[in-house]
Amino acid sequence: MNYEISLMTTMAISVLFALSLNLITGFCGQISLGHAAFLGVGAYLAAMLAKAGVPFLATLPLAMLLAGAVGTVVGLTSLRVRADFLAITTMGVGFLFVGIVRQREWLGGELGIAGITGSNMSKLGFMLFTVLCAILVMALCVYLRRSWMGRVFNGIAEDEDTMRVLGINVPRYKLAAFAIGTALAGLTGALYAYHFQYIGPDSFGFVESITVLSMVVVGGIGSVVGVTVAAALLSALPAWFQFIGDYKLLVYGSLLFLMIRFVPDGMAGLVRRHLFKRRAEGGSK
Amino acid sequence: MLLVELFTQGLVQGSIYALIALGLTLVYGLLRILHVAHAAFFTLGAYVGILVCNASGSLILGFAAAMAIAGCAGVITYRLAYQPLLDKPPFVALIASIGLYIASEEAFRVFFGAQGISFVDPPLQQQLLLFGTIRLKMAELLVMIGSLAIIFVLSRLQNGTRLGLACQATVSDPQMAESFGISLRLVRDLNFFVGSALAAFAGVWVALLNNLVEPTMGSVPSYKALAIIVLGGLGSVRGTLAAALVLGVVEAYGTIYLGKLLDRNAIAFAFLILVLMVRPQGLFSRR
Amino acid sequence: MSAMAISPTAMPLLEVDKVTVRFGGVLAIDDVSFTVERGDLLGLIGPNGAGKTTMLRAITGVVQPERGSVRLSGRPLDGMSIERRIRLGMALSQQLVKPFRDITVADNVALAAGYRKTLSPLRALLSLSRSEELRVAGELLERVGIARHGEDNPAVMPLGVLKRLEVARALALQPLLLLLDEPLAGLNSQEAESLATTISDINAQGVTIVLIEHNLGEVLRICKRLVVLDNGRKIAEGEPKSVMHLETVRAAYLGNGAGDERHNRQPRGGDDA
Repeated sequence: MNYEISLMTTMAISVLFALSLNLITGFCGQISLGHAAFLGVGAYLAAMLAKAGVPFLATLPLAMLLAGAVGTVVGLTSLRVRADFLAITTMGVGFLFVGIVRQREWLGGELGIAGITGSNMSKLGFMLFTVLCAILVMALCVYLRRSWMGRVFNGIAEDEDTMRVLGINVPRYKLAAFAIGTALAGLTGALYAYHFQYIGPDSFGFVESITVLSMVVVGGIGSVVGVTVAAALLSALPAWFQFIGDYKLLVYGSLLFLMIRFVPDGMAGLVRRHLFKRRAEGGSK
Repeated sequence: MLLVELFTQGLVQGSIYALIALGLTLVYGLLRILHVAHAAFFTLGAYVGILVCNASGSLILGFAAAMAIAGCAGVITYRLAYQPLLDKPPFVALIASIGLYIASEEAFRVFFGAQGISFVDPPLQQQLLLFGTIRLKMAELLVMIGSLAIIFVLSRLQNGTRLGLACQATVSDPQMAESFGISLRLVRDLNFFVGSALAAFAGVWVALLNNLVEPTMGSVPSYKALAIIVLGGLGSVRGTLAAALVLGVVEAYGTIYLGKLLDRNAIAFAFLILVLMVRPQGLFSRR
Repeated sequence: MSAMAISPTAMPLLEVDKVTVRFGGVLAIDDVSFTVERGDLLGLIGPNGAGKTTMLRAITGVVQPERGSVRLSGRPLDGMSIERRIRLGMALSQQLVKPFRDITVADNVALAAGYRKTLSPLRALLSLSRSEELRVAGELLERVGIARHGEDNPAVMPLGVLKRLEVARALALQPLLLLLDEPLAGLNSQEAESLATTISDINAQGVTIVLIEHNLGEVLRICKRLVVLDNGRKIAEGEPKSVMHLETVRAAYLGNGAGDERHNRQPRGGDDA
């Protein structure tokens, strides 16, 4: 039972992380190849605070705040560079984060930080708490999508120049997307630290950034339900099929490639088209 | 003399970066695809080179085989992976490329083992002393000369031959070029062949310098080469060369003087971010 | 805000004051001044490369003039971003139609009509309802004559509908000043005539309009006043019929030698904004 609880927690954390990136890349169209850095910011802050004896519930908002603040600064780059250039810049931010942490003795350097405790919850309680967070964030995403902010994000993702002509202050909205998305990544990072009780620089490297991007792409860029399902499945996959554990990256890489090559709109797009076809067939009878 | 030595080391590293980045620039200039999987051909070239050289005893044969095989693999990749995605938004091809690269890295591990392979009898390892002060390996000197020569020849070919001009024409206006009887298909295939062969060329040199080929040897160069072509102002051959050399030197000095603050990769990307914020169009772009 | 009460002063709505724009070494706009009064329908015309589009971009803030100033209701706009100028009461209908293709025609207009709710991200986050904007969108689509296409996807609509959508979307911002960049381009003569009539009607309902257009026939039919540019300079201004009789204007359109040579040097800044 312990194993299932732990797996469930891991899945919920992946869902949170993927939804946070989906907000930036899916909703607002700003590609990020360094999202794991914000997971790292939240995780490291929570770990340090936990070691200093700060209570669990207080570390979560602080982790969100710091990650969101760093994320807003990184978001400033999206005002200078677009598309391909933004992808490379955010990738650089990811490498920069790992490079900085690696050289900081007080952050544990190469070895990272072990023995992070302090949630004072049972395994089951922590799992329920994490799942609750995931559900709340899902609800937030669904709400956001339907709000005027979501409509503006959608427009910016499609054509930001035209949004300017409609009087939209595009820079502010982009920063808002980065702030919300990276703050949620910070929250996820804090939960990550308490769950695994160990963090190191390599937990937040380029591979993690790509893994979360692949969850978003496989689920369907922008789709809340699609991304949730994809994140849950992809994070559980290695556990369910022990034999692919060793080839995790091979599977991830191939899946990412095949998905975007043959179904660029992801699982959500696949389902939508299937439903549409069924409905069309039903209608013609 | 530390300054001079670091400078030379920076140039050696920069030459290798230039060879890798050049193929990326060709692809980007032609198709606007950030071709991360390019580094897979770098690794592939290194494996083929070292295996052929060990089997035949001839380094030249190793180079030739590496470039030929990687070149063909590049063309196949283009046909299967990118051609169908050309009309999609640019990040689609980018993500496909990242997926492809991650999978290929793992495939190398599965095929050739995780621990890597070496030359049985590593060639070109003689130590040279230039101008009485600069200590260099033969291979290091040759890679500098080789990459400069190749880039020189390439930019000559690009501006001086019918085919080179045809390539440029397809970039500025594909439809127009096609109506003048230039085969888009041929030009694109050729670009992927040349670009991938250059990456393989670089891969064999790195294998020589380190006397080691590993599945993951392409990962850092692949991301750094992206940084370089962005710095060089995407699509420009000369800008890429300059950016590669500058980055090599900045890294060499940075590792010594900033090593406590940041690791080597972080220095490269800190430099990239800094430049892009000041000059979003790249360091050497004329725009 | 565009909803702000019109100030009672006799100040012109738009003043273009000695504006000079230079691209590299090339003079694209050379010391051009004109004003647009409230209620006007001004045609900004001139041969290819005369600088009309550049002038429009200087007004919307896409290009920064080297010298001179642009004022809206007496307020200098210099250095402001395009979105700030739009918020102050301008709206632009672009030459190349750019509808959002994954939402319906009506949604496109509603998105613009929600400009009060989208002023800041926070306000946008806290606003959900869209019934009012959809109602406005319905009205505007009616006004430009494409109400029956409200639920259609712009991706499959003909250019005639999209050109009208572009106008409706600009109107949704309830502008004091509507800038139309070649709204008739690419339409057949019947469509052009009908859209020109619509534009004239919109003006009659109280919207001040600056119209850039190549279709001289329609321009002469609907415009109240003309400003003629050639080689970046203003060569004539006034009531349409008399302006078109001026020798300088005729010469510019017929293109005599010296003029032509200078046209060719005019930069062709890309068509997209």
